[in-house]
Amino acid sequence: MLAHQIAMENPAMVLAEGISAQDFYELASEYGVSGVPDTVINGKGRVVGAVPEKQMLSQLMKQFNK
Amino acid sequence: MTELLNDSIVKQLEDFFGQLTGEVKIFLFTSRDKQEACETTSQLLFEVSSLSPKISMIVVDSDAKPSLARQYQVEGKAPALVITALDKTADGSEQITDYGIRLLGVPAGHEFGTLIQDILLVSGRNSGLSDELRAYVQGLSEPLHLEVFATPG
Repeated sequence: MLAHQIAMENPAMVLAEGISAQDFYELASEYGVSGVPDTVINGKGRVVGAVPEKQMLSQLMKQFNK
Repeated sequence: MTELLNDSIVKQLEDFFGQLTGEVKIFLFTSRDKQEACETTSQLLFEVSSLSPKISMIVVDSDAKPSLARQYQVEGKAPALVITALDKTADGSEQITDYGIRLLGVPAGHEFGTLIQDILLVSGRNSGLSDELRAYVQGLSEPLHLEVFATPG
């Protein structure tokens, strides 16, 4: 999972949770998760689907404005 | 109790785990609120970890040890797996490295594949990311929380 690879590079700053939408359906429905995988970034940003690294990087840059 | 992993999967996993280099220690945080899911996860993890001497597991009762659950940021998230690296220091004591990798819920279906990938990833002590993404993540000065939702396939 790309999120887990990302966490590994900076565990002091990154927490990456792979979540079963079935076991945590309340949280999943709170975020309106429908298709999976669906990545929620800091409770706000979204990346739907399994995306390549470049796309994840651009989403992170958008999130942090840098 | 019936085993969860069939012979064919066991054989595949033994092949995968032949590539393991560093040791991996998996913490399973349980809670009585999610007893059935925690028991299934515990059995699954036991079967997986018994396939390689490089994989060990420990079950932590979050209800009895809330401070440990808090330390690993898994309060109220049982069953929660924390996949860590285990190394031995010069004096022989255990050193755990928490890479921020969590799996929440029963690791069945697609999540089972993720668990196996995580074991290989942590064992290798290398994220395998491109230089560009690696540099960006290493430069982060603010917390990043990634919640990746999947369903058992």
